[in-house]
Amino acid sequence: MFYITRLKAGLILERCTVLYLLRKFALLLLTLWAALTINFFLPRLVPGNPIGAMIAKYQGRLDPNAAKALMIAYGLEGHDKNLLTQYGDYLFKLSKGDLGRSISFFPAPVTEMIGGAAPWTIGLVGISTIFSFLLGSGLGVYTAARRGSRFADSLVPLALFLNSVPYFWFALIALYVFAFLLGWFPLGGGVSIMTGPTWSLSWILSVVAHAILPGATIVLTAMGGWLIAMRNNLVSTLGEDYVAFARAKGLSESRVLYAYGIRNAILPSLTAFGMALGFVLGGSILTEVVFGYPGLGTLLYHSVTSLDYPLMQAIFLFISLAVLVANFLVDATYALLDPRVRTGQA
Amino acid sequence: METLKRAFNDRRAVVGAAILILLGLMALLAPLLAQHSPSQLSNDTWLHPNSQHWLGTTALGQDVFSQLLYGSRLSLLVGLVTGLIATAISVIVGLASAFFGGVVDDILSGITNIFLVLPGLPLVIVAAAYLQVSGVVPVIAVISFTGWAWGARVLRSQALSLRDRDFVQAAIASGEGPLRVIFAEILPNMVGLIAANFFGAALYAVLAEAGLEFLGVGDVSQVTWGTMLYWAQSSQALLQGAWPWIATPGLCIAALGTAFALLNFAVDEVANPRLRSERVAAESKPLALKPAEAPPAGDALLQLRHLEAGYLTEKGTVRAVKDVNLEVQRGEFLGIAGESGCGKSTLAFAVAQLLRPPGQVLSGEVWLNGQELVRLPPEALRQTRWKDFSMVFQSSMNALNPVMRVGDQIADAMRAHGVTDKTVIEARVRELFEMVGIRPEYITAYPHQLSGGMKQRVVIAIALALEPKLVIMDEPTTALDVVVQRSILQEIDAVRRRLNLSIVFITHDLSLLVEMSDRVAIMYAGEIVELAPSSDLYANPLHPYTRRLMNAFPPLEGERTRRDGIAGRPPDLGTVIQGCPFAPRCESAMAGLCEVIAPIKLEVSADHVVSCHLYDPNVMKGRAEDHAIAAD
Repeated sequence: MFYITRLKAGLILERCTVLYLLRKFALLLLTLWAALTINFFLPRLVPGNPIGAMIAKYQGRLDPNAAKALMIAYGLEGHDKNLLTQYGDYLFKLSKGDLGRSISFFPAPVTEMIGGAAPWTIGLVGISTIFSFLLGSGLGVYTAARRGSRFADSLVPLALFLNSVPYFWFALIALYVFAFLLGWFPLGGGVSIMTGPTWSLSWILSVVAHAILPGATIVLTAMGGWLIAMRNNLVSTLGEDYVAFARAKGLSESRVLYAYGIRNAILPSLTAFGMALGFVLGGSILTEVVFGYPGLGTLLYHSVTSLDYPLMQAIFLFISLAVLVANFLVDATYALLDPRVRTGQA
Repeated sequence: METLKRAFNDRRAVVGAAILILLGLMALLAPLLAQHSPSQLSNDTWLHPNSQHWLGTTALGQDVFSQLLYGSRLSLLVGLVTGLIATAISVIVGLASAFFGGVVDDILSGITNIFLVLPGLPLVIVAAAYLQVSGVVPVIAVISFTGWAWGARVLRSQALSLRDRDFVQAAIASGEGPLRVIFAEILPNMVGLIAANFFGAALYAVLAEAGLEFLGVGDVSQVTWGTMLYWAQSSQALLQGAWPWIATPGLCIAALGTAFALLNFAVDEVANPRLRSERVAAESKPLALKPAEAPPAGDALLQLRHLEAGYLTEKGTVRAVKDVNLEVQRGEFLGIAGESGCGKSTLAFAVAQLLRPPGQVLSGEVWLNGQELVRLPPEALRQTRWKDFSMVFQSSMNALNPVMRVGDQIADAMRAHGVTDKTVIEARVRELFEMVGIRPEYITAYPHQLSGGMKQRVVIAIALALEPKLVIMDEPTTALDVVVQRSILQEIDAVRRRLNLSIVFITHDLSLLVEMSDRVAIMYAGEIVELAPSSDLYANPLHPYTRRLMNAFPPLEGERTRRDGIAGRPPDLGTVIQGCPFAPRCESAMAGLCEVIAPIKLEVSADHVVSCHLYDPNVMKGRAEDHAIAAD
């Protein structure tokens, strides 16, 4: 309806959307810069000579070449360099995609190792996070719309409990019961070794079989938070005057619930989704450790236990980047859904 | 503080507090309850639960139960202390950025936003891996460092909205210093939110701590629930069948987290009145209504019979509308006036069947065009709405869906009542916009792009969309400036005359009503105390309350005199009122009569009805005789 006028208004809105997205992109860059800087200063906050301390921790097990690479990686090979020059060097190297070499897998470049692990994490954690958001928000709508029914009300404390369970512990129990005792799922890993070439049908089936249990634990534990958020948003929204007015107009209950209630309640939930992404991802990383899943979480765990600092830092940077990009995508979706953002008045 | 007290009446908060106390007792009484030292090694490795070791032993022969008891100490400590520190940072950052605004706000909000999107746990892991110092202090430090941002953001927006409130503005204007304003005016109003935030931060801390220790990044030589899980996992406890070693610390963490989450949820619900009232609503059941009597005789469009409506609260029923009987003729403009809190809006919502729990119609009948609305089944009511009667809300600023184009908000009302032809709808929307004086370009605008007056006009256009027989207008122009108000009212009146609509117009502005209405009803404490043709009411107001209301507004002509308001407040509708409800504020009140006996309705002249003892000939005659006797 109202095509012609809408087109004219559309042009004005367009410019504001671009401005909004630019602002969000600037925040992305700023946050990325903050992450880079934290990453740079963290090793330098350790009192004394960090590299000396690291080398001491390895107690002579360190390859001399690796020790030298470590010095280079931290820009500490020349003592004459001041902090600012070191920082400049660091940024310059980063811009070329050089994050240094792993110590525990010397001389493998850490980017290569991350490249090998990232697809597993993005596949597992990405899909399960989206699933848990949709499922949790759906149940949140249900509990808000059916307040007063015993089943709907009992979902709220259950969600609070699930939200308070450590992801990795839930994973341990699930692994013990469903993989160890019942033998329904493999005990760990991302794919069986004997499954033929990559992307063959048997390989894909094996990947799926390995992903179900860790994925299910992430979905279940992350779901509670989304449920509570959506429920509270929708309960608040259903008390708004525009919902009462919609009802007064004689719209059907489902039209009131969807076009007036949920359509507005989803907006803060979406913001929360962007914010909570980092936390959910952190929890999921621990899930990977439990399942020995060959993703970034397991790699981070490995780097922490073997004091592989360059690898650890690179993983942190990569995860930050992933979270920031995902956040940006959420913001872009938000702009599509909320006209107030598009016209720069939110 | 009130918020916190109320929160503890909540079942969920009680359960949360109970769990927390239980875990606290575990920590305090650990030396008494534990039969073994938590770190003492022995040769009894991998024992299953038995009478000596209730939860079995570890790979190194330590007693799992003792570890669980002692582990609660550090786990609780880290949770509580981190929660406190993170909340303190949130409060400082949130308040500073709300209060100082400008550059300070820009910088602090920027930093908050950065910390919000940085992935917390990986950052904590990397930071903790570097700061490998023994003890829990670094763990507390790094978790607080990453856990404050969400709270800061929430508290900032709350403080911002508080800052704009009148009492804070008054404090600032009266020259109170920023610190005093923050501590005396703003903080006390944020207690609930801060408490909710503390429990949220504590929950995050408990989970982050467990995660860190599970990875072995913390100090694994200490006994906490997290390090227990670390040692259990690295000794492959589950594969050895030592499931209590893993199950119990995890359950304890989950219990502690749930306790914090329950408290957070309960406090949040109390601090957010909307969530709260909805909960009361869910618990209160609607009263059963007696079946309606036969439809009324006469040709009135709307007839109210003994209508009673109110709110079912925890303290009892608030009767906001009491025994209202009223008729509205076709084409009539009926005004209803009264102070705030006299039940005008409740009456409007009760007639329109829009009261939501805890509000409801308690008894009585609403007949509109031969249909009794109170007892109408939901689907029939839905079809009648807007076709037979529509309503304009008091708060039209919020009556429009912010994410839907205003044109579509008219269109969907038409579609819901069977108008599906696109060209018909589009033509009608244009016509309506023209009728209320808005340019058609704004059909595709969103509500936030319109001014207050335009939004009001849109709402009126929506109300007229299906040419209903009756439009109920609940203070439709209160929020607007006088010029806009006047032009809108003139348009409403013109439309009414053209379409022969009936309008029930509710306002506290009596002078406005007298000018526009055919008849005016005066409401006080949920009752109609006077009803008269408006010229009659203007020339000869009878009820002392009506007279005071008239006197509270300047006359349109004549010399300016000082206006006085009405001393005192309307009575609390939740209590039983004896006698005339206006008696305590009435200058003409007769002692021993007005505050004891409720006045009856008296038809003083044609169509002029008043509820006041002053006009009751029996009462007045009695009193005159009393006086005569007293004089003798």
